[in-house]
Amino acid sequence: MKGRLFIVITAITIAGFACRNSAGRGEGFIFPEADSVPLGESEKLSAEAIADIAKNISSPVEIANLLQMLDVPFSPEYLASSIDANKQTTAFEKALALGILGADLGYLNMYERTGTSIDILSSIRKLAEGIRVGQYFDFETIKRLSLNKSNLDSLLFLSIDSYTRIDQYLREDNRGQLSALMIIGVWTEAQYLATQVVKRYPDPILKDRIGEQKIILNDLIMLANPYCGKDTEFAALCKDLQKIKEKYRDVRITYTLGEPVSVEKDGGLIIEQTETSVVEMTDEQLSAIIDVTKEIRDRLISNN
Amino acid sequence: MKKHLITLVLLIATVILAKGQSTDPLVSSCLSSAGPGAKYLKDFRVQLGKTADAADFRYKAQMSLWKNTKYRFTMCNSEGSEGKLILSIKDDANKLVLSSYDQKTGKIYPYVDFICNRSGIYQISFDFTGGKQGSGVGVVSMVK
Repeated sequence: MKGRLFIVITAITIAGFACRNSAGRGEGFIFPEADSVPLGESEKLSAEAIADIAKNISSPVEIANLLQMLDVPFSPEYLASSIDANKQTTAFEKALALGILGADLGYLNMYERTGTSIDILSSIRKLAEGIRVGQYFDFETIKRLSLNKSNLDSLLFLSIDSYTRIDQYLREDNRGQLSALMIIGVWTEAQYLATQVVKRYPDPILKDRIGEQKIILNDLIMLANPYCGKDTEFAALCKDLQKIKEKYRDVRITYTLGEPVSVEKDGGLIIEQTETSVVEMTDEQLSAIIDVTKEIRDRLISNN
Repeated sequence: MKKHLITLVLLIATVILAKGQSTDPLVSSCLSSAGPGAKYLKDFRVQLGKTADAADFRYKAQMSLWKNTKYRFTMCNSEGSEGKLILSIKDDANKLVLSSYDQKTGKIYPYVDFICNRSGIYQISFDFTGGKQGSGVGVVSMVK
């Protein structure tokens, strides 16, 4: 009897605590007294800077969206289908593969090839569990939405949100190196997708998007830099990123000036930017970027 | 007693897992209000206390925005929020690109579509009107 009472009291306490916390994330927000920075917050600034960098890296969904806009048909041959989650043994391999498959999932989702994404989803779950972040990947709901093929908005949201929360948790859990690997994996796979597609569909808009990756390449390198001396796997990856950077060295991005134009429509505001960015990249430079991306990405997925 | 302990451990694990998977309802509802064709990219959950100095937006983040893309920024407020969430975006040269708040008229736009023609890293800033305390979310999505 005493034991049962103990369970009941503890359960009520835990439930109360859990509900209070979830309310803090939702509607029942308790306003802070003042907008002050708590003590010790300044020490986290570098972590915040890293979080900012992580957010800067373009989403693979954006590349897939661009491909759709250009009427590029879906092709399964761009997917990293050879990744076997069971054969990824180290945390390094698991985190990197998690990123690569995350980009593939974004591509599949955007093209609504959700039926074929179930295998990738299973691998993602296995990899996420392998680095103890499985609780942030809402596998069952994502799988259900994928099979239903009815709610792309929710599917995109849940997939991206799961990755965002995994990334955030890894950094909070002092496993920033795994977060960095995941982001590098996402970027590499999205870059691979864009560079493979451009070979068949050499659209100037896609070429520009590939050239524009120069803008965030330094951020990606900065994200990896603190871990380059950690072990041989990281050292090799850092070298790979430097190789890509080298191929981008002579790509130039210039800007033309202009003032934004705004129009009101349906209660909202539409702003069109007249300032533009212009990419100057030769066919040889693009070709070198395509080759180095393929070489590195193929090696990253080859340990299967 | 051992059986009770196992039950308790399972209960705690369930609560922790449920917490890990919970999705903010405000984000979900804001996502719906972004429109049927909007494809979700990111969200910024903003919770701020009041301030006497409302000159500069307090919540700041960075985001890469790409040429040839139309982004939709949708702002939503929690029920108890005193201020209304407003957004401003500056480019890497600190030049104001857009604001969801018209200072001249005092009009607040619930969403802003941004046709991006200059790829780069932008500073996305949020605050609440009049430096009031508030809670809200800014959802970024892509639209055709």
